[in-house]
Amino acid sequence: MAIWQARAPRMTEPAAGSIYDLGYRRYEGVRAGRRRAWWALYFDSLRAAFGLGRGAAAKIAPAILIGLALMPAIVQLAIGALVSADVELITHDDYYNLVKFLLALYCAVLAPDIVGRDQRSRSLVLYFARAISRVDYALAKYAAMFTAMLAITLVPQLLLFFGNALATPDFQDYLKEDWDQFLPIVATSALGAALISSVGLAIAAQTPRRAFATVGIIIAFVFTFVLAGLMVSELASDITRVTIFASPFSLIEGFTAWIFRVAPSDSDSFVLRAGYPLAAYAAAGVAVTVAGLGLLVLRYQRVEA
Amino acid sequence: MTVLIVSLTLRQLLGQRRTWLLVLLALAPVLLAVTFRFTTDGTRDAREFVADGVMRNVMVNLVLALAALIFGTAALGQEFEDGTAPYLFAKPLARWRIALAKVLAAWLGTAGVVGVSVIATGLIALAGGPMDLIIPAFVVAMALGALAYASLFVCLSVLFDRALIIGLIYVFIWEALITNLAPGAAYLSVRAYTIGIARALADTPASTFSAQLSGPASFAALALVVVLTSAYATYRLGSLELARRV
Amino acid sequence: MTATPVRGAAAPPPVPRDAVIELRAVSHWYGNVVAVNDVSFALRPGITGLLGPNGAGKSTLLHLIAGFLRPSAGTVDAFGEPTWRHPELYRRVGIVQEREAVYRSLSGREFVRLNARLHGLDDADAATTRAIARVDLAAAADRPTGTYSKGMKQRIKIAAATVHDPEVLLLDEPFSGADPRQRLQMMEMLREMGAEGRTILFSSHILEEMERLGERVLVIVTGRLAASGDFRAIRRLMTDRPHSFAIQSSNNRAFAQALLAEPAVRGVELVDGRLVVRTDDFGRFTVAAPRVARDAAITISELYPLDESLESVFEYLVAR
Repeated sequence: MAIWQARAPRMTEPAAGSIYDLGYRRYEGVRAGRRRAWWALYFDSLRAAFGLGRGAAAKIAPAILIGLALMPAIVQLAIGALVSADVELITHDDYYNLVKFLLALYCAVLAPDIVGRDQRSRSLVLYFARAISRVDYALAKYAAMFTAMLAITLVPQLLLFFGNALATPDFQDYLKEDWDQFLPIVATSALGAALISSVGLAIAAQTPRRAFATVGIIIAFVFTFVLAGLMVSELASDITRVTIFASPFSLIEGFTAWIFRVAPSDSDSFVLRAGYPLAAYAAAGVAVTVAGLGLLVLRYQRVEA
Repeated sequence: MTVLIVSLTLRQLLGQRRTWLLVLLALAPVLLAVTFRFTTDGTRDAREFVADGVMRNVMVNLVLALAALIFGTAALGQEFEDGTAPYLFAKPLARWRIALAKVLAAWLGTAGVVGVSVIATGLIALAGGPMDLIIPAFVVAMALGALAYASLFVCLSVLFDRALIIGLIYVFIWEALITNLAPGAAYLSVRAYTIGIARALADTPASTFSAQLSGPASFAALALVVVLTSAYATYRLGSLELARRV
Repeated sequence: MTATPVRGAAAPPPVPRDAVIELRAVSHWYGNVVAVNDVSFALRPGITGLLGPNGAGKSTLLHLIAGFLRPSAGTVDAFGEPTWRHPELYRRVGIVQEREAVYRSLSGREFVRLNARLHGLDDADAATTRAIARVDLAAAADRPTGTYSKGMKQRIKIAAATVHDPEVLLLDEPFSGADPRQRLQMMEMLREMGAEGRTILFSSHILEEMERLGERVLVIVTGRLAASGDFRAIRRLMTDRPHSFAIQSSNNRAFAQALLAEPAVRGVELVDGRLVVRTDDFGRFTVAAPRVARDAAITISELYPLDESLESVFEYLVAR
């Protein structure tokens, strides 16, 4: 008869007001602490981003976008297999230029899920009443977004790299020769993921409404890129050229070229021919990433959803 | 009656923070035009910069598409999200009236914002030189494009909860990417219709900017899209299970 | 009308001649969830309450009647026509949703007037004024509804739903979150409207609300109609069922023996150091227990019912 044991009210004095012991017990066990809370938040955000734990519809968009991002790699591998391994249509240093809109879309789809749901359900107050601090919260969200972005920046490049390696007759030879590509691949994908995550989350955290966040992110990446393109190549004056630093995609293109040691004169991209030293893009990239993170942490200093 | 719903919807659409977002969006091309005036040394042909650079790449591809997305998916979608849809649907109103009103509201909002931006941009950038009907061509083309986008996105919001994301994928993957890879896809791209109509109406030399579709083809396809999507939206509204959406 | 617990497979009761809304063998499911299971009843003018625990299917049932959902099986008719895909129906039906959604930027008056015009009323202004007066919001009518308190929002929703003078009014949990005064006011308003000959259906999970308002009540549990008919008769049925009580006394064994001699007591068990008494007539028992204890010089330190929750009442009704 467990039911009524929990429900039994014990009367102390019938006449005076008393508080009934309804059998509520405090949790006396081990409390896992801040670290575990952080990791729990991280994993939960990551799961939310990929739609795990929700319906199929929530999983489709990220899956499609990652699939599309893999396309260029697959195409290159197919060409390598069917035609010749020497035909280098799609290379590592050029990869992000091809898929950049996909990256923006991916961020625009995921970011509102990572930071928006807590705002929509007004559970921020609950989070901040726990062991996790506000900075922890912001960083956990960022880490989740970064991991998710890495899936779309790193995986296609890895696929291309190892695919090419497997396609050559001598696997080890390829690795030895092209090993100097590997570190740049990891570096650019990490930096790119860091930058996009930072800007995307900083925007998405400002509003609970998914539509605003999504469109805001698209504007921040795509719009700025097109505008910068026009400013630099069409208008080409010294004042307007600076706007290139306001475009995250241009920064990515810049520092990717820098890390892969692409000579600017080789390319016909407006970014590389804007006349700035490529290292400047890397510096700006880091600066913007940090600024975005700062904005994100700042946002969570206030609780309103 | 329809007017009533249109004005109600417009009031809801414009009275929000999203309007500020759109104003910013629509200001960008104007800023571009202003920068152009101050930095150009007169050797560049303004027409090409405006028609191809600004109008096509910025206005049509971005401003029009994003503005239409915001207004189009919110016109009906916001009502579902906020839970105010029953006030419209639990009324003795013909469903086509509701669909029409929502499309009109989305269209007016989009066309208004974009139209002003086009005219301002064009006047600033082209003043003093040959205009070649660029401004009227793009005004008309974008007005029509806005209508097509509006009816398409309203239809999407009847069908799906997350119409915005689907619309985004349509604009930025189908229209941006796939029509470049497979030119046939242009027949299903509102962006292509818009450019096609602008190209047909503008008087500039062919080298200024090009379109994938001819004027008549664009117009016909656009009209078809408007009619089909509006009709389908009306049809689906007729058997809408409100309790599932709200 | 007598109260009869309606079992699932039994034939629906005969339809009274002045039935305004009729449901015949209605079910609604989505995926694997059956929200409403083979429900049949008819609604007449006057107030009927839809009573059931949370998740029982009250909202689904209301949505079916309102034409917001398509019945997966069976028919839902209002004034002889199916409610599904029938916008004309809304001329005679008003619906008050549970969700607190209004057009925030519109003033109360504008909001009600909007509804009046959407209904195509000839004199929207007069109807608006009447509706707002009926819910007693004339003072605040010109403020944006976004500034209203929860109770005011509820009232303006009722005004909007009644501006076109509907014969049928459906309300989904109208009293949830209302303070006692608001509740009384709303009840009074509904009573008036019911007396005018309208058919009013409101849902709730609180018995007392039914008691104050409901002439008739429909009890729904896990999608099935557990009871329907006159509220008082059902109440009696619910109270005339077997009850169980737990007792802790100074001498359980002696008390048990003494109680067994009482006619009101069905059985007594000793469980975990407590007495569990089963009785058919709880009125008699509550009088007998202290008397028996006093006569036997036994002190009762605890006495409480084991199955007084709404859920257990419903379970009993469903299991009968």
